[in-house]
Amino acid sequence: MKKEYSKKTLEEITSKFPQVTVKIHGPRRTYLRTPREIVYDFAEFLFKEKGFRLSIATGIDTRDGMEIIYHFTHDAAGTYYNIKTLIPKDDLKIKSLTPFLPAANWIEREMHELLGVDFTGHPDLKPLLTAESWPADLHPLRRDYQNEHKNLKFKKKA
Amino acid sequence: MGNAKLWGLKKSPWVFHVAAASCNNCDIEILDILTPRWDVERFGIVLVGSPRHADALLVTGVLNRKSLPRVIDVYEQTPKPCLVIGVGTCTCHTHMFEPSYNVVGPYNKYIPVDVYIPGCPPKPEAIILGVVKALKRL
Amino acid sequence: MNIVRILFQYIVFPGFIFSGIVGLFLTWIDRKVTARVHWRVGPPWFQPYADFLKLLLKETIVPENSSKTLFLLAPLLGVISMSILAVMLFSMNFNPTGTFVGDIIVIIYLLALPPIGIILGGSASKNVLAGVGASREMTQYFAYELPFLIAVVTIILKAGGSIRFGDIILVQQASGPFLYSLSGVIAAVVILLCIQAKLSFVPFDIPEAEQEIMAGPYIEYSGVTLAMYKLARAMMLFLLPLFLISLLWGGFANWWAIPKFLLIIVLIVLIKNTNPRLRIDQVLKFFWIGIGILSIIGLILAYYGL
Repeated sequence: MKKEYSKKTLEEITSKFPQVTVKIHGPRRTYLRTPREIVYDFAEFLFKEKGFRLSIATGIDTRDGMEIIYHFTHDAAGTYYNIKTLIPKDDLKIKSLTPFLPAANWIEREMHELLGVDFTGHPDLKPLLTAESWPADLHPLRRDYQNEHKNLKFKKKA
Repeated sequence: MGNAKLWGLKKSPWVFHVAAASCNNCDIEILDILTPRWDVERFGIVLVGSPRHADALLVTGVLNRKSLPRVIDVYEQTPKPCLVIGVGTCTCHTHMFEPSYNVVGPYNKYIPVDVYIPGCPPKPEAIILGVVKALKRL
Repeated sequence: MNIVRILFQYIVFPGFIFSGIVGLFLTWIDRKVTARVHWRVGPPWFQPYADFLKLLLKETIVPENSSKTLFLLAPLLGVISMSILAVMLFSMNFNPTGTFVGDIIVIIYLLALPPIGIILGGSASKNVLAGVGASREMTQYFAYELPFLIAVVTIILKAGGSIRFGDIILVQQASGPFLYSLSGVIAAVVILLCIQAKLSFVPFDIPEAEQEIMAGPYIEYSGVTLAMYKLARAMMLFLLPLFLISLLWGGFANWWAIPKFLLIIVLIVLIKNTNPRLRIDQVLKFFWIGIGILSIIGLILAYYGL
């Protein structure tokens, strides 16, 4: 059942969104590389019509740009469908998935504060995990962060 | 400290658990020592719900920039005399987490720690031994 | 009346010190039996006394923005009312003709004071969690006071309608304890569950639920004030089963009272160990609907002489 579901879904996806390239990585993982502009529509199609579930989203700073992956899963297929997008580093904007997908709210906040990606359309993009005294425009998980604020001392002592 | 005060503190240390950015392994081990296998209530140790009732603070985890003001607040709210016991190797020294942007150094830069219990996580017997050594130091 | 004798009765025996010591010993029995039920070894016999001594000698912290006088005086309400209750109970049982008319009403008011102490103390500390705990204590008090009063009225009916506590004991000594009748059994069950709720034992310990609101109304207390709260609870653990024995089982002026007392303590501890905690709306429903109807049935049966 799983294999037929996967094959049927992939055929439907490639017929509807021809810019998406499919790479089957293994029996349970399929990478779908999409350009930045159709991520929103594609994710909406997956979530609303096919019933996929957002598991997590990851972001990583690579040489070719910022790579953001949204990991969707489907229980009947038993596989991960990862939507990979590449964002150029001088224009770090992508349309946020939060308006129709509340699960993406916090993970996009975390990616914004640690990597500096701006999610347009996000209702409340304030920092989630870093301390209140941490400056909001320092993004520590970028490759060119030099740990220059390591000894920012806290004033209170016991 | 007077003799009666010392006897009271030694025979019934009430413990409050402060988890400052730990990976929760040490927290599970602290929960273990209250179970019937290593029953720690026979020493009078009770897990209380408020730092104002506590005599000993069990701190776990590497000190984070975000949890630092909270840990200092909890320490100042505990009525003295109080023991601070650091459970786990993360409290002894920041070891491999030192280069991180969020780590602000070992605990004894901010609050006075009495006993460190190394181990990742320390076995429940090691935690009991550490608490007993801390009580003997009083 | 000799002033030294009065002070001795209220402070030493059977007032403050005696009921304090026996009450703390009963909390040890509770902890030891609980530990044995969990297959553990429990604390040694001097544990509650060590706890009390340690709390007396620790630093007492008063929060800055709280109402300081109320914060420091609220724990004393429970202790003082329980000392007075101890003296009244002992004098009634050993001298049933020397009581005054209406003293059962005085006892009901005295039993209402420890929860009021908790509510005032929780509201006086400037802490949101303490306020939540105090409001839960208020709700629980409303819940169990109604069936408790109906059960006491049941017993007053069975004693011929007089509200002197001494009369209740004399009638039981003359014609057998009230427990050996159907309405007596119902009243005993109702009062036992109300004792469980008054002591804030599981399944009714929602006011100080540790996992939710971090010690509830006691959250800001430390040192001497906390010791007084714990002492008030210990004294209640000693005096409330005695109250139950006096109302329903013939008074405790003879040696048979000791096994009866231990049976009630064991029942309380067993109910404590075998039940999960009820939510506050479940507590209200349980006491007003379930136990309330049961107590009204007991009242009707007592009216018809059963």
